[in-house]
Amino acid sequence: MTVAALSAAEAPLQASPRAVSRRRAVRRFKLSLLAPLIALFAFVLMPVLLLQLYFSVHQWTVYLGSWWDADYIGLDLFKEVLTDPRFGWAVLRSLAFATGSTVGCFVFGFLLAYLMHKPFRGQAIYYIIFILPMLTVPVVVAYTAEMMLYQSGPLNDVITRLSGIEFKPSWLSDPHLALMTVSLLEIWNWTPFSFIIMLAGLTAIPKEPIEAAEILGASKWRIFWEVQVPLLRPVILLALVLRFLEAMAEFPKTWSLFQGGPGSATETLPVYIFMTTWQYFEISKGAAMSYIVMLLMIVIVLFAIRLLRREKRSLDKMYEQTDSPKVEA
Amino acid sequence: MAMTKSQRRRITSGVRYVVLSVWGLMAFFPIYWIISTSFKLDTQWFAWPPYYFPSPPTLANYMNVWFGAEEYAQTQYAISSQKPLISLYNSTVIAVTSTFLSVLFGSMIAYGVSRYRILSEARMFQLLMLRMIPPIVIVAPLSLYYTAIGLIDTRFGLILVYFLTTLPYAVWMTKSFIDEVPLEVEQAAEILGASRWRTVFEIVLPLIRSGLVATFLFILILTWSEYLLALIITKTQVTTLPIELSKYQGSTEGRVYGRQAALAVGITVPLMIVGLIIRKHLARGFSFGMVRR
Repeated sequence: MTVAALSAAEAPLQASPRAVSRRRAVRRFKLSLLAPLIALFAFVLMPVLLLQLYFSVHQWTVYLGSWWDADYIGLDLFKEVLTDPRFGWAVLRSLAFATGSTVGCFVFGFLLAYLMHKPFRGQAIYYIIFILPMLTVPVVVAYTAEMMLYQSGPLNDVITRLSGIEFKPSWLSDPHLALMTVSLLEIWNWTPFSFIIMLAGLTAIPKEPIEAAEILGASKWRIFWEVQVPLLRPVILLALVLRFLEAMAEFPKTWSLFQGGPGSATETLPVYIFMTTWQYFEISKGAAMSYIVMLLMIVIVLFAIRLLRREKRSLDKMYEQTDSPKVEA
Repeated sequence: MAMTKSQRRRITSGVRYVVLSVWGLMAFFPIYWIISTSFKLDTQWFAWPPYYFPSPPTLANYMNVWFGAEEYAQTQYAISSQKPLISLYNSTVIAVTSTFLSVLFGSMIAYGVSRYRILSEARMFQLLMLRMIPPIVIVAPLSLYYTAIGLIDTRFGLILVYFLTTLPYAVWMTKSFIDEVPLEVEQAAEILGASRWRTVFEIVLPLIRSGLVATFLFILILTWSEYLLALIITKTQVTTLPIELSKYQGSTEGRVYGRQAALAVGITVPLMIVGLIIRKHLARGFSFGMVRR
């Protein structure tokens, strides 16, 4: 029951002047709560989206003088982008990067969360150390990586010393390794994200089914797969979906460390759009590309949102169930 | 091989400590490396074999980067300007203002959603799109639009986009706190004749004070470290710290690791402090309030 619903219920059928004025006041109140959002949409987002549409169907670069005189060329740019093999590769790279790093973050994050979900000595210290990578500015992660990953740098040196084998991959200049390097950085940077979400999930799921299974003599393995994982499904999907979307947008590390290179090994979608627009100054092609990527992402996000809506409902239900006994206690 | 229960438990616990410690070392080593590099003399930045400890530790990098102190600087790497301090000022003003706006208006929207359903559930999820669609797809038209209306390279311009892009977090996170406030309190206030605005500002928001602080600090983390939008919108006048750091990259010959490290530590340490203060709320923040503890 909301306050509004309550007020509406009070209002008699043959609206008295007082009820009318009250309803008007409520409407005014609601509108003014929303006003900032409406203003932002109207004055920032809408003009930007309209401009983007304009540029993607007009040929314009910064050399061409005033952009409002640009020639209308219809959908040519879209055709150009869609037949551009570099664009295709960028899509594939982005998907590979996002999938790989999401899975990596999730596996490590879940493992750590599982090892930590029951209290033990030193838990707080481990928790603090584990979330530090997430609290490092992405650009700083990139420069730290540069300081550590050159061929005779500390990382290769440490691994060589520990293993006794000469370990000298060139993380930063080998085109076959570069995308992997960024993925590993992303995993280092954002495993804490999956970790905290999974840890929160593991501590929130109801204990009774697990205890019941233990009493019945089920092995830890079976309890994990048949009791805990199904209970954790909403949290797992949340951790995967949100991380994947963020990874699709990753720009600071990839750009600061590689600028798309070596060759075009790290040219993900954000990097390629950035280069097209700010290095080749093909504003219109960049806009068309952005449009296509935006549509692609909208499809992905709508799918993600459908998933999240369903999972949020089961999450809310779970919190209601686990919370209510606490209130009584 | 039969093991007693306590033996097995001891082994599990041992394995746990080993795995956690290995990961802990991997998580901490890069952070240690950048801190230690920031205290190293220039001959040790790029040496082989690498110096694992700065010997002797020096403050020259900090003095040079943050205060442009010539006397401390080895001439070769001296970048004597006080730019980082200006960027620090810009970063602080921009991050704090945009975060404040985001939390203020975000919590009002959240209140409206929670109590008056001003946005349907579907609309609330659509709001997430502001965050989920990569910002790269709008930065080019945004930059041209800002040029046209004179907001390019201004603090206000950046504040406005940060406000917009962090709003979904603010709305969702504060809503998760407001939802936990029992309705009876507001009904009591209504009966006692408090106006709607007073109910919001003097009853509901104070009740979720700690939640608002957590939301504020959480969004501060996002705005403080944002890179792409700052790179596009700020050209020369109002660079923020992450952009300042990337400028140290190309501007000088050779590798100035120690200087970069001193700058990087200065950027990241405040963030870590803020993050550790709200460590219990991070899961809630990053999951848009869907996961709570």
